[in-house]
Order: sequence, then structure tokens, then C-alpha cells
Amino acid sequence: MNKWFKSGSPWIWLSAGGVSLSLISVLGLLWLIASRGLSYFWPAQVHQFELMDNQGNASTVIGEIYDRESIPSQQLVHLNLDLDPSEETVERLLIKTGNRELVSLDFRWILVPEITQQSTPEKLVVVERRTNGNFYGFIEAVIQDGKSVSIDTLPSLLTRVLELQDKIETLQKVEIGAINYQLERLRLRERKHKLQETLTLDRAQDIANEVAILQAKYQVLEKRLLALRDETARDQIKLRAMDDQIVTVSFADILKVTNNNQMNSFEKLMMFFSQIAVFVSDDPREANTEGGVFPAIFGTVLMVLLMTVIVSPMGVIAAIYLHEYAGNNALTKLLRIAVINLAGVPSIVYGVFGLGFFVYMVGGSLDQIFYPETLPSPTFGTPGVMWSAITLAILTLPVVIVSTEEGLSRIPAAMRHGSLALGATKVETLWRIILPIASPAIMTGIILAIARAAGEVAPLMLVGVVKMAPNLPLDGNFPFLHLDRKFMHLGFHIYDVGFQSPNVEAARPLVYATALLLVTIIISLNMTAVSIRNKLREKYRMLEH
Amino acid sequence: MISVSPKTILDSTTKIDLNNMSAEQKALDIKNLDLYYGDKQALQDITMSIPKGQVTAFIGPSGCGKSTLLRCINRMNDLVDHCRIEGEINLHGENIYNKHVDVAALRRKVGMVFQRPNPFPKSIYENVVYGLRIMGENNRRVLDEAVETALKSAALWNEVKDRLHDSALGLSGGQQQRLVIARAIAIKPEVLLLDEPTSALDPISTLTIEELINDLKKQFTVVIVTHNMQQAARVSDQTAFMYMGELIEYSDTNTLFTTPVKKKTEDYITGRYG
Amino acid sequence: MDNMNIGRHISGQFNEDLERVINHVMQMGGLVEKQLSDALTSVCDANEDLAKKVLKSDESINELEVSIDDECTRIIAKRQPAAGDLRLIMAIVKTIADLERIGDEAQKIAQVALESLTKDHKELLLNLDNLGRRVLEYLQLTLDAFTRMDVDSAIKAHKTDDKIDREYEALMRQLMTYMMEDPRSIPQIMSVIWSARALERIGDRCQNICEYIIYFVKGKVVRHSSPE
Repeated sequence: MNKWFKSGSPWIWLSAGGVSLSLISVLGLLWLIASRGLSYFWPAQVHQFELMDNQGNASTVIGEIYDRESIPSQQLVHLNLDLDPSEETVERLLIKTGNRELVSLDFRWILVPEITQQSTPEKLVVVERRTNGNFYGFIEAVIQDGKSVSIDTLPSLLTRVLELQDKIETLQKVEIGAINYQLERLRLRERKHKLQETLTLDRAQDIANEVAILQAKYQVLEKRLLALRDETARDQIKLRAMDDQIVTVSFADILKVTNNNQMNSFEKLMMFFSQIAVFVSDDPREANTEGGVFPAIFGTVLMVLLMTVIVSPMGVIAAIYLHEYAGNNALTKLLRIAVINLAGVPSIVYGVFGLGFFVYMVGGSLDQIFYPETLPSPTFGTPGVMWSAITLAILTLPVVIVSTEEGLSRIPAAMRHGSLALGATKVETLWRIILPIASPAIMTGIILAIARAAGEVAPLMLVGVVKMAPNLPLDGNFPFLHLDRKFMHLGFHIYDVGFQSPNVEAARPLVYATALLLVTIIISLNMTAVSIRNKLREKYRMLEH
Repeated sequence: MISVSPKTILDSTTKIDLNNMSAEQKALDIKNLDLYYGDKQALQDITMSIPKGQVTAFIGPSGCGKSTLLRCINRMNDLVDHCRIEGEINLHGENIYNKHVDVAALRRKVGMVFQRPNPFPKSIYENVVYGLRIMGENNRRVLDEAVETALKSAALWNEVKDRLHDSALGLSGGQQQRLVIARAIAIKPEVLLLDEPTSALDPISTLTIEELINDLKKQFTVVIVTHNMQQAARVSDQTAFMYMGELIEYSDTNTLFTTPVKKKTEDYITGRYG
Repeated sequence: MDNMNIGRHISGQFNEDLERVINHVMQMGGLVEKQLSDALTSVCDANEDLAKKVLKSDESINELEVSIDDECTRIIAKRQPAAGDLRLIMAIVKTIADLERIGDEAQKIAQVALESLTKDHKELLLNLDNLGRRVLEYLQLTLDAFTRMDVDSAIKAHKTDDKIDREYEALMRQLMTYMMEDPRSIPQIMSVIWSARALERIGDRCQNICEYIIYFVKGKVVRHSSPE
């Protein structure tokens, strides 16, 4: 036994154990969020349950099985159920019944003993709608332009409506959006001139003319929009719900009609992928509980990239100063300690600092100086994507400084001397030799910064993230990148959907799916940086002296 | 009848009187040089003249100040904190420690090669043209020509001409050191300082470098610091023996290695207790 | 020995190597000295046995020369001696060559002893013996200077050569007279002349050795010039 200890193998086992433990926890985490998240996209079977309660009332429930759990029989005593006394627990199912306009809750628990019959009728359809969530039921009739037509025409009618919807969306977002934006700018111009008292009659006239032209254009577009809207509302579909109520749904409201129970595995797989595609590319609906998360993805990535652009030069310059130019004295040491300690400050503190200093002080002053025409509504004096990026840049600055300085100090003095001896000045040496060789270390710092910034939510809630942003911070209107806009963030989206949504049950899979997406995005951002670093490393590989 | 005295047959190199050189013969003139690292005096009252177009070697035990003296010649000691220098080193009759001297320009005139090969992590080509690029030369034709000349002078051209754009780090130690020499001579310095250039190399690479040094003295004044006395004996024309920061003996190599005057020199080169 | 500073090398092995070589040189010097003195004795006493012994002893001298040569080559290859060490090795290599030649000359003298010389030439032999004793003394002086690496004694010994040359010339003249007086004795006298010539050569060799000593200690080449 003693010999075994001396041989060192217990330590090898111990460290191997440590490694496998971390590996298992990482893989377990990924597996959990992946399985929970991805199951959200898998088209589920729709069941029809015939129920009989203890009073002898029969009812029908249609829906997807969402969850199942066992509860102790004791809890159900007050219901006076006719239960098998030998069974200590009773199984119950959580059914997603949809049809929100008919019932108050689109989720319902049913007890397994109450079920008298369970089937998956092939005619059952799932209608995905823009409002009120899914509808589960049977198609009674398809009405085209007031007349009843064959059910077979449904796909072609749906395609037509979806195309119209696309047009409407482009019209609304791009063309009408552009006109609104220009109108707003004209209004601001007028106000600016008023504030500066330079509003001459000519100018006022010019502006009024332009407004008139835009208004005219707007009228035309609006007419087109209304016409399109009418078009979409032409056709309807009549559906029968589980309680035999007939519901008429306008095609304008329908996104997708699927027949889950008739699908084979391949069709389900295709559907699975198209659902994922919709999820990552669509805007959210219904208080973020449905639809996609594209604005959040976009916001997260844009903010991280902005942060990287800000933090990299700042960190590198600071590190160069500390390492190359600052004397080796107590003050430098103090600075270094301060930088390292900065990394330990809780992130919410940065959020408070960002809000107090950047948003209110700096942003407020910017507004006073550059955007007085918009006041009292603030431009930069309010949380926005730029302040978020800057706040996170400050948060991650120590990481970049420390790893850059580490990289600088690892460069052998021989490199410097070699360059200096060839008649290069210190700056030339820095630019041509030192920085390229230190670039892998700088990239390491940036990777760590990205990893930290992408997962950070708390400070962002103070300095720029919102639950629902009307516009992306990047669009087709000049100056294209709107740094003053608020944005959506995946991390905040998770929090919002999981804890703030009216329908927590419905949102749970979405939380996992969004978490999976966030992890994927952070990993891919990191992998990109890592691959760049590895290329640089290969290029500037030092010989092993 | 041509009369040739046997003396001229035996002595192919014309001897130079080190104590009494004309101004044209001098490449460098060091006068009363003292150097202090903080309170510690590292060089004491060094006075010597280094002849043009010859190889001068500094030998001596570790810490005797020979590398320090070499680094004084292109002011690499400026990089050391708390380093103070008194006295003068004259290049073309001008003290290089004068205030208005441009150190970068000085270092272009006085090139240096270090103990370990330190090629930059760039291509062979970019390594050689580094100094020229620093000087602002970007004409492709000029650079190409300079690379070929420098690599040929450094006896490396035949080995690398087909892979000029490969990384310099792929070369062997000896090749790297020759590349570093090529890099130094590409900017056509007047003086080339070699700080123990072969101490990290194997014996065969060492011989190649020594052979190269012998060729280099046709174009440059070479000053070499070496731990290897035999190397100093093989490659140099003049040898200076230093001990504890002092210049003990400075004479032509043939004399120093056969009949040194000072006992310290004798003890050092024959490997005796000091 | 002290003058050579041999004991102060950092490498103890080097010290030992040098000491061994020098000891061998001294041993060789001793043998040569003995050989010469035996040769002289054998000639004067017409002792044929001793003369044969002299002839034989040359073999061991040759062997010693070869082995010292070897050792010196090894030292040069392994130690790359410089300055004093280098001069010492060079001096040794040259010295042993000269010692070996002295041995050969002694052999020649011993050969004279094997030729029968009549009592009439006793006087001649006496003269030869005189010269021989002087040369032997000279050799002893030289070896002594070598042992101590003493420049002063070397210079002093170096000067002895002139005296020997003069004595040799005197002897030659005397022998010349004998030959003219009695042509029948020419063959015997010739062998005496050979011996005298050998002794003169030994003197020259001793002079060389003295020059090597001066070269080693002073680092100056005094050959073909005056030692001062």
C-alpha cells in the first residue's frame, strides 16, 4: 500500500478523476440544455383523451403531452376519487391544450386514472397562429372569399397569405420605417434650427415641403398596406375544438398548419430543422414566449463585437505602457495591483458605474452638446448598445491588460536587442517585432474578454438591454449603426422568458433552447478567436531554446 | 632577380603597431573608458584602438567586462538601467557618447550579432531586409539585390535561395546565426560586433562561422567577444585580454598566444589559477 | 621545476601529463649522459664489453624518444597548449630529437672502441678523452639547466660550446700533424677524428638544447644569434 502511494499512481488517479469530473459536468450541462431545448422544436404527437371524472361527467381533452409526474394519493383524497388504495401514488399528465381564446389556461393537468380512452386521431391539426398561441382541433371547412372550398386547397391558400405577409412586413419595416425615420429627422432639424434661432422662413418652407412629399409617399404606402391587409383577411378556416366549439380563424393570423399525427419520421425531422431555422431567424411574438430570438442573437453578437473593438486597443495600449514605458517603481506596481483587483469587482457594480457615469454623466453631456433638439427625450443619455459595450469593455479590460503584459514579458530580450541593434528605434521595434510576436497573447486576452462579456447580463440590465427592442441597432437608415439604440440580449432574454413571462409553463422549453443558443454563440465566438490565435501562434512560434 | 626577404614570405599580414596607429588605420578609438552599473565599476580606464579591416578579439574570464565593452561600442548599454559611462569611444573622430549622436544611426554603422541566434519570426527574406525597411527602403529590386548580396556574404545563399520566403525559424542553429550576420551586414555597417557568436553552436557550425568571419574582415571591421580562446587564436588578428574590468594585454594574436607579456594573460590562456 | 609553473593548471590531469613528459625527458637525458660517459670510458680503456653495452643501450633511448614524442602529440591534440605550455612542448619535442642524436653520436664513439688501437695512440686517446670529458660536462650542464629551466645556466652552458669548438680544432690540428708524420697510422687516426667529430656534434646539440630552454623561458628565438 505504501509502495503504491510512493509510486505516485494515486495522484495520477486523483488528477484523472478531477479531469473526468469537470468533463462530465460540462458534458452533462450541455446534454441537459440540449435535450430540453431541442425537444421544443420536435413536432409532438397530439393526443385526444376521453375523461370520466368521479361524478360521471365525460369530457374530451386534446393536446400535446407536456410533462408527467407522480403525486402521492393522499393529496387527492379531497377529490373523492375512485382510486386503487394499494397504489401510493397517482400519475398525472400535463397537457398543452392551446386554444387560448377558449380557455383561460392553455395547460391542464389530467389524472391518468380518469382517462377512459386515449387516441391520436389523424385528422387532428395544429394551427400555429400569430396571436393566442397554437390551436388544436379538426378542420371543419376552408372558406375562400366567402365560399367553402376543398380542404386540399389549404396549402396553396396558406402560401399565398404568407407571401402577402412577407410583403406587408417589408413594406412596414423597410419603406414605411425609412419614411418615419426621415420624418423624425426632419422634425429634429426643424427643432434644432428653432433652438439655435436659425429657422428662417425659407428653411421652414423647405422642411414643410419635404414633410409634405414624405407624407404623400406615406399615404401611398399606407394605402398599399391596407390593401394587402385586406387581401390577407380574405380567407378563413373553420376549426372544431375539443369541446366541439367551432372557431373561425382568419388566414391573416395563421403561420402554419401541421398534421403532426400523420407525419413520418423524415417529415418530423424536416419540420424540426425548419422550426430551429425559424427560431434563430424570426422576431419574438406574444411577449417573447413564441416566435424566434433573432434580435437577441443579433444584439448579443453586435454588443460583443463592439466591446471587442473597444477593449482590444485600450487593453493593448495600457499593457504596452505598463510594460514598456512605465518605470519599474512602486507606482507601476500599484497600478498593476489595481488592474488585477479591477477584475474581481462584481459585474453589477460596473453596471451601476456605467449607468451613473457613462449614461447619465457622459451621455447626458453628449446630449446637451450634440443633440439638444431631441431633448427632453434623451439620445445618448439613456441606456444603449454603445454604453453596454463600453461598460463591458471596462469590465474585461483587466483580462486583456494582464494577458497582453504576460505576452510582452515572455518575448525574449534577444528579439528586442536584435531589432535595436539593426538601428530600429523603440517604437519601430514595438510595431514590427514585439506586437506581432505578442499577438497570440493579445488574442488570448480577447478570447477571455469575449467569454466573460458574452455571458454577462447583470450590468447590461442597467445600461442598455431591454425586453423588447423595436428596432435592431443596425439597419438600412443612415448612419446604419445606431449606437444609441437599446438592444436585446440572449442572456436577458432567458431571464425575461423564464421568470417574467405570463406563461411560465409554456416558456420553459424556450429557456433551455435560448440557453443552448447562447452557449453555442459564445462557443463559436470563442472558437473563431481561438483559431485566429492558433494561426498567429504558428506564425510567430518561438524556437524552443 | 627579385629579392624577397624571408620575413615577408612568413608574415603575409602586415603588422600594425597597435600603440601608434595613423588615423586612417583606426576604426575605433577608445579612450579612458569607465563604466559603472550603479555603484559597481564594470570597466576601468580602457584605452585601446581597434584597427580597420581586421578582426579584434576580446577574451577573458566571465564577468571581466568584455561583453560590456563590446556593448559600449554600439551603445547597447543604454538599455541597462543605472548604467553610467565616462570616457569616450571615437568613431571617425567623433565621440559616440556625445549628446547629439543619433543612437539608431550609430547602430546602423555598428552592427551587432548576439550569443544566441535571434532571427525574427518572419521569413528569411524579411529578416534580411528588416534593417533596410527600417531605413525606409521599400523598392523591391533594391531589396532583392540586398538580400542576395548579404546572404552571399554570409555564405548562406546557396542553402536558402530556394526558400527565401519560408520562416527563418526553420533553419538550423548555425544557419540562423549566419542569417543574423547577413541581417546585420545587409545595412552595410562599418563595424560588426560579434558577442560570442558561436557559443550556442555545434563545432562544425562554429567552423563555418569562423570561416565567414575571416571573409567578413575584407569588408568590415570585426570585433568579436569569445569564451573560446582557440577561436580567438584562430580568427583574430588582434587580441585583447581583459580581467576584472581592466584591459590587461592587447597585442597581435600571434604574440599574445605564444609569448604573452603579462603573467595574468599567460595564466589565463594556459588555463592556470589566476 | 618551479620555473615551469606546471603545477598550477586548473586541470590536474594536464599537470600530471606535463610532469610525466618532463620526467621522461630527464630519464632520457640521464640515459644519454650515461651512454656518452660509458662510450668515452670504453674508448679510453679499450673496453669492448662496455662498448657493446653502449651500442645496446641506444635502443632504449630510441624507445623513450618515440614514447615522449607520442605523449607530446597527445597533449597538443587534447589540450591545445598555448603560450608557455606550447613553448614547453615545442622545446621538449626538439630536445628529445637532439638527445636522440647525441645518443647516436655516442654510439659512433663506442664503435671506435671496438676498433683495435695500438698503445702508440694512447696519447691520441688521451686528447680525445679530454675533449670527451669536457663535452660530457657540457651535456651535464645543459641537462641540469633543462631540469631547472634555468636561463642563466643555459646561457652559461651555451657559451661553453665555443671553448669546445676551439679544443676540437686544436685536436684536429694535432691529429693532422700525426697523420703527416706517420701516414701508416692514418686509418686509426681517422677513427679518432670520427670520434672527435662526434663529440663536436654533441656540443652543437647541447647548444641547441640550451637555445630551446631560452626559447621556453623567454619566448625568444636565439638560434642563429647570440643568446644575449
